[in-house]
Amino acid sequence: MAFLLNCPNCGARNVYDFRFGGEVLTRPAPDAGNEELTEYLYFKENMDGEQREWWNHSMGCRKWFIATRNTHSNEVLGTHWPDEPVTGTGQ
Amino acid sequence: MSRPNKRLSAAPQELVDRSRPIHFEFEGRKIEAYEGDTVSSALSAAGVEIHSRSFKYHRPRGLLCVAGRCPNCLMTVDGTPNVRACTASVRDGMQVITQNAWPSTERDFVSVLDRLDRFLPVGFYYKALHKPKFLWELARPIVRRVAGLGSIDVDSDGGPTSNHTNRHTDVAVIGGGPAGMLAASAAADSGADVTLIDDQTLPGGHLLTDIREYFDVPDGLGLSTTTGHEIAAELRERVLGHQRISVLSSSSAFGMYQDNLLAIQTGRDSLNLRATHVVMATGAFEVPHQFHNNDLPGVMLASGALRLARLWGISPGKTAIVTTNDDSGYWAALNLSDAGIVVSAILDSRVVPDSDLLTLVRTAGIEVLAGQTINSAQGTKRVKSIATTSANGETRNIECDLICMSGAWQGASGLLLQSSSAGVDHDGIVRSGVPENVTIAGGVGGVHDLGALLSQAGLAGKRAAAKVGFGVPDDLPAIEAELSVFKSPTTSSAESSASPITQTKKTFVCFCEDVSTKDIAVAVEEGFGDVQTLKRYTTSTMGPCQGKMCHKAFVEVAALNLGLSVKDAGATTSRPPAQPVALGTLAGQNHMPRKRSPLHYVHEQLGAEIVELGPWLRPHNYGSPQDEVLAVRERVGIIDVSTLGKLDIRGPDAGKLLDRVYTHRFSNLREGHIRYGLLCSEAGSIMDDGTVTRMADDHYFVTTTTGNVDAIEDWFNWWMAGTGMDVYVTNVTAAWGAINVAGPRARETLAKLTDVDLSPKAFDYMRSATGEVAGVPSIFLRIGFVGETGWEVHFPAEYAEHLWNTVMEAGSEYGISPFGLEAQRILRLEKGHIIVNQDTDAVTDPLDAGMRWAVRFDKPDFIGRAGIAATRDRESKQSLVGFIADDGFVPEDGLSIVTNGQPVGRVTSSRFSPTRGVGFGLAWVPIEMAEDGTRIFIQSGRNEWPATVITEPIYDPEGSRLRA
Repeated sequence: MAFLLNCPNCGARNVYDFRFGGEVLTRPAPDAGNEELTEYLYFKENMDGEQREWWNHSMGCRKWFIATRNTHSNEVLGTHWPDEPVTGTGQ
Repeated sequence: MSRPNKRLSAAPQELVDRSRPIHFEFEGRKIEAYEGDTVSSALSAAGVEIHSRSFKYHRPRGLLCVAGRCPNCLMTVDGTPNVRACTASVRDGMQVITQNAWPSTERDFVSVLDRLDRFLPVGFYYKALHKPKFLWELARPIVRRVAGLGSIDVDSDGGPTSNHTNRHTDVAVIGGGPAGMLAASAAADSGADVTLIDDQTLPGGHLLTDIREYFDVPDGLGLSTTTGHEIAAELRERVLGHQRISVLSSSSAFGMYQDNLLAIQTGRDSLNLRATHVVMATGAFEVPHQFHNNDLPGVMLASGALRLARLWGISPGKTAIVTTNDDSGYWAALNLSDAGIVVSAILDSRVVPDSDLLTLVRTAGIEVLAGQTINSAQGTKRVKSIATTSANGETRNIECDLICMSGAWQGASGLLLQSSSAGVDHDGIVRSGVPENVTIAGGVGGVHDLGALLSQAGLAGKRAAAKVGFGVPDDLPAIEAELSVFKSPTTSSAESSASPITQTKKTFVCFCEDVSTKDIAVAVEEGFGDVQTLKRYTTSTMGPCQGKMCHKAFVEVAALNLGLSVKDAGATTSRPPAQPVALGTLAGQNHMPRKRSPLHYVHEQLGAEIVELGPWLRPHNYGSPQDEVLAVRERVGIIDVSTLGKLDIRGPDAGKLLDRVYTHRFSNLREGHIRYGLLCSEAGSIMDDGTVTRMADDHYFVTTTTGNVDAIEDWFNWWMAGTGMDVYVTNVTAAWGAINVAGPRARETLAKLTDVDLSPKAFDYMRSATGEVAGVPSIFLRIGFVGETGWEVHFPAEYAEHLWNTVMEAGSEYGISPFGLEAQRILRLEKGHIIVNQDTDAVTDPLDAGMRWAVRFDKPDFIGRAGIAATRDRESKQSLVGFIADDGFVPEDGLSIVTNGQPVGRVTSSRFSPTRGVGFGLAWVPIEMAEDGTRIFIQSGRNEWPATVITEPIYDPEGSRLRA
């Protein structure tokens, strides 16, 4: 694991400068049942392929952003702020 | 005593300075050397031929590659084992000893193993010493002592720690040969910043020893010379003098990772170099040929013999035979002959050699034996003769003391293959599949002819620069079109094996691990049908050279025995490190962060015992924690709480954010009021706690536990991310210092220093105010972690020492005492206040911890609500309660609560209470035991100690002192 990650604020940085926040998931409603909550908390997709995931530039601007990464090839297809629409591949 | 001196007459390209003699010790013997010598060159000059004993059979081994690639010269230098003597520069007074031999490499009794080879079959460890079972126990100490290379000085402090540095470069060029140097200067000329990495002391590569005249060097390169080593010198001046090229000599790139991260070893230090583009100019190298006794001292790579002769002026032998399968052997023979070494013959496995070259070598008096191959070498500690076979089966013996193996090139592509799946055959030559951010130049891509190589390298440098945005990027297609002309030969070199493969127990494929052609044949017979499994079973290619000397031959021998073509046999996988790296170099320095409070030096002056708490250094006590507790209970105490996490939350949506992340409600908190805050994970487990103070309508001041603040800051920001909330979270932990002044005389102490009205009526419990203390603008928080009247005072960290000293002075008449962590732990425990992660764990939820009062289910949502709700809807199984132990027993933290000998709960915190004179604490117990007066039993060793459950704090349960 030595890839570069493009922080939308700071630019390309070594992945060691970042903290991984896991898959982007939809939080269940506050009154969700135990089963739905358990599914959300413990049963991750852990997919083989393109995945949207949270990253925090912990050694830099400390901002959270979302990266689309191919978990198979480890290629980062793009990064963007959480409130920006997914622009697909490319930066 | 006369010492042999094998120095040739001085040559222009040599690296030694014969006017500067130096001395070092080898096996207790004084060796004369010159500045510029390596350990190996100096030993060779002094007549030392055996440089090491082989791994398994303890066979004598002499110099082979003389370039830091093979395992033949591993020695212990100044206590460091496994140093490659052929690249270690000599220093005055250095101590060199040999390894893996007893008593010496010259006379090694362990070499008896060479004659016991039938007891040491391939896969020895899988086959021998297993039955009967006790055999291994007996054999193990012996095997352990004999096996392995070199030994570590266990008493050594490891020497100076190595440094790790990180750097960026536009273009990294790996390899300091002609291709690397030209590519580097071309890229730098285009404007790119270039780092050139070369594992030799002097850039130049194979040209360093080359005396050939090149008349076909392209004009456009600006070279004024035509002789090989002069071209090298010219290119070297160019790169060393170039302001945009940084040259790292004696540095090896041992790892290559995603996005061109290069791990480079330079001396003891390691450099992580991130390159936007990499030019791979690692070259191609000769490898040993496969004949019986191909490891005898005197059997060398032709390039090794030339390096010895040309760079250090040492005669590698008196009478040489060159064995080859291509023209390079002829040039090597001419070069050796020019250096004064008699070359008696060239054995060329080809039947019809090049006619021009033939004339040239014959003029030099060298016989060419076309279609002849070498079968075996004879000799004990040095080659004495060879046996050859001609194409029509005639055999012949030729006397010689040096065999120079030429041809049979293996590309140095191991590094590239670590990070990509480039198309590389067993011969290591890169033929396809090179990643977009890498360009190949020179021998590793199969381009050997110097004219072509220089043209290609120049283009490679331009391409690299253009790829990172320098030069004229529009030219890129044209450059790439020109580059594509330089195709590497597609013929796989199986057919061009330098000699037919002899399969004997002493025809060595892998010099590192003593694996012979016969061993591989036996392994195939035993059923290993693939190069990957053959590699693991025979350990071939797995030694210190990591396949540099043997990969090609290994695959060829495997293919031969498997009845496959070398193409179908495939190649083994390259992994870091490409070159051995000392563990100390990888470890680097210890970078454990240390944080000191702004009052750290005050504590030191007060004689505090300092302990580590996460990254912080904190006072544990100032002499007697018990006395400190009593000072707080009876008079007044002062503690440094600067390490508390502090977050400044501002913005119109500040309350909304806090309502979302905390279990409590804060949007309705009134200005100047404080509320306890509990943070839970999404699963509803307690993560952190602290206080939340409303400073203004859109401004909150939050404290978190020591050491957790960075994670909490991230947590807040995460739950804000993408929500559009208008709020800023600022971590002010280091900017603010804080003290807690608590005790019955705290009010009187502080009142002397501030205008803020601290009277009970004006300043209630859980209220805040701002004002000056001793002239320092501060925030007063009236809270009571330790259970007495007291104020947490936060102030700009710069004033910490002034404030502390002034408060101490003001409190002196009331008997003020500083108190440390230990006293604070006792004080809070007497009040039953929990410490998150001490009294809770990763699955503790607030309801079980008895903190339902801090959870607002009437909020529609907050982080952890669903998880806590799930607990609310089921029966609680356990509860956190207080206890008082009988008979003054003070259990250790973490002891079990047992019922009928079975653990049913645990003690989380326990201390002796100086206030009450009892042992007491907090414990998790099953819900049915969580009632006042229940008798529980705490297991300590073999004893069970009785205790009584209490549901109220042992000190001031009504909180009247706290609120006084």
